[in-house]
Amino acid sequence: MSLTATPSMVRDSTRRRKRSGTHAVLTALPWLVPTLVLILGVVLYPAALMIYTSFFKYNNRGIQRGDAPVGLDNYIGTAGALTFPGVPVGRILLNTVLWVAVVVLITVVLSLALAQFLNLEFRGRKALRLFVILPWACSVVMTATVFRYGLQENVGLFNRLLVDTGILQRAQAWTKDPTSAFWVAVFVAIYVSLPFTTYTILAGLQAVPDDVREAAHVDGADGLRRYWFIVLPLLRPAIAVAALINIINVFNSLPILRLLQETPGYHTGHITTTLMFEYQRALGPGVSSALSVLNFIFCLVIIAIYLAIVQPTKEVA
Amino acid sequence: MNKRVLKFGAVALAGAFALSACGGSEPAATNSEPADPGSLETTIKILAPSYSDSSQADWQAIIDKFNETYPDVDVELQIEGWDGFTDKVSARIQAGDYPDILNDNAFAASADAGILYPMDEVLSADTLAAIEPSLLANGVGTDGTQWAAPDIASARMMAYNVDLFEAAGIAEPPKTWAELETAAEKLVALGDDVRGYGMPLGREEAQVESSLWLWGAGGDWADGEGLKADTPEATEAFAQMKKMYEAGYTQANLEDNRVDIADLFQAGKLGMMMAHSAIVADAEAKGVNVALAPIPAKDGGDGVALGVTDFIVAFDNGDADRKAATSAFLDLMYSDEMYEGWYKGTGLLPVTTSMIDKGKAESDENGAAFLEALSIVKFLPVGNPAWDVLQTALQGSAYKVGSGDPAEVLAEIQAQVDAQS
Repeated sequence: MSLTATPSMVRDSTRRRKRSGTHAVLTALPWLVPTLVLILGVVLYPAALMIYTSFFKYNNRGIQRGDAPVGLDNYIGTAGALTFPGVPVGRILLNTVLWVAVVVLITVVLSLALAQFLNLEFRGRKALRLFVILPWACSVVMTATVFRYGLQENVGLFNRLLVDTGILQRAQAWTKDPTSAFWVAVFVAIYVSLPFTTYTILAGLQAVPDDVREAAHVDGADGLRRYWFIVLPLLRPAIAVAALINIINVFNSLPILRLLQETPGYHTGHITTTLMFEYQRALGPGVSSALSVLNFIFCLVIIAIYLAIVQPTKEVA
Repeated sequence: MNKRVLKFGAVALAGAFALSACGGSEPAATNSEPADPGSLETTIKILAPSYSDSSQADWQAIIDKFNETYPDVDVELQIEGWDGFTDKVSARIQAGDYPDILNDNAFAASADAGILYPMDEVLSADTLAAIEPSLLANGVGTDGTQWAAPDIASARMMAYNVDLFEAAGIAEPPKTWAELETAAEKLVALGDDVRGYGMPLGREEAQVESSLWLWGAGGDWADGEGLKADTPEATEAFAQMKKMYEAGYTQANLEDNRVDIADLFQAGKLGMMMAHSAIVADAEAKGVNVALAPIPAKDGGDGVALGVTDFIVAFDNGDADRKAATSAFLDLMYSDEMYEGWYKGTGLLPVTTSMIDKGKAESDENGAAFLEALSIVKFLPVGNPAWDVLQTALQGSAYKVGSGDPAEVLAEIQAQVDAQS
């Protein structure tokens, strides 16, 4: 046997590599098929059906009216998702942007502080970390219901607390006014989003190497500069994950606003998600599917803007 | 290998025979009365709301009695709460899984879609004759077909707190709008958080309350074949409602539902409200002294009473056996023997003439007053498919009359109705 590689040996090995390439895919396919079937059946098929539904007319009982597709009637027609009379669409879109932006921003800022605190060594750290997880463990519907009953005008406990301590003169009907109910819902949303974001950032903090921080300290950088120039850029991936997942969750969050808004009809405290469910009840699946499709595109736009501004995947210099 | 094939083939063959035995019987060539009750073999499905805690048991009693005569008919009962009941019905209709018997508070949309059997094909002539005609008429669609049969009824009259009236020095219940204002003023003057008149315009009852005021003004929703919201009488009615709210005679939040108003009434903090028999019974149980009067109209006269019935409809599943079983079941349900127990479990009023007469003899003064009112009540136009749309619009927007201009609120409601016609 010769020690030098002959052309035939090279040819054989490349052929083997190419064969093993497709061969690898084929061997992997049986393991992938269940997941693919699940994604197709649970994600892609319902989405496609929803888009299909948005092009037909239904009455509010779900019975299809007419066999022919109606074009963009469910979107911008006389009884369309964006043009139904009496619906303050501009205000609702603004509410949606405010809802996502305010909740995610405040959640991330508070979580950064909380994660920093939980990263320190102190007695009782484990117990405190457990308490921080609790709002995430409780059902969101339950939390929203507790707030709704607590803020009830006549007998709610939170109202009584505010009046008895003198902060308010009279008990307010927080949930009966669309705007005040909206801001209460923002508070509850931040409360339930904090645990997940804090833990994601805490995990990211574990990955910040101590020697880089010490080097900066030796060079004379104070705490704040160390944090801003060293720690924060290294946390960028963790913040990106937390923020993106939060954006999607908060955008799709239905129970908090729906439970806390007690005003009927198309009031000024809706976001597009709750409006979609109002349409589902009042106008049927056609119009609410149309709004759902628009919602989806809207969400993609928000995420695209976020990714363009923050550029979380850019390499840290 | 051969043995395995043989074993597998034997199991498959046996399985095929077993499954074929489970199949349904041949569709019998009968029209309405099955020739032999014992041999009718099919499954019927019932979807009903829960009127009270005993609803499941009440239906089960009828099913058990039904199975005595029809042992091979399987009755599947699904009871759901009223909250979100419409969504559950829509879900089943969309899935194509029509129930054979649906107990719901509307029928026009399904009738319009042509998926129901007319009730005179399902109920026997005797049963149809047993139902009070004025209530049966509520189940007729705009095309004149009897699509639905009423199952229970409630009449709304004005309930007032006799003790509060005495304390405020009001001698007689008000008959005109002006008298209503004076009475409410005197009640509010009593102080101690007492309210004069409860006006719930929330998600559940806005359409009932608005209709009462509209009829009091002498108007109606029906406008030829369709429904019209922004009539001059409606504007007058809404203006009066706004006047009552601004003068402080009503409860603080117009979006309250009937439940919130009933709570106030049962606590003795409300002078007058439009109530049905269950609310009055509950209030009396809590110690409130209640009396009934017709609802005030603008210029007096006989006053108004509103009737509401829920409906039984039969969906067209294209199966003659199921239709026959449904017929037999409903005939049994409306029979005096079974209907009495069933309607008493709901806490509302009966619809068969025999039960109404029996109820009048047995009830106390207030109960008899409600039963008397059943023969003179007016109904909401539930037979009109456009009513669904108008009802949703009223439920969503009527409360705005407190803060907005009545004509504008009605114009918005009319715009929503027009957009969907």
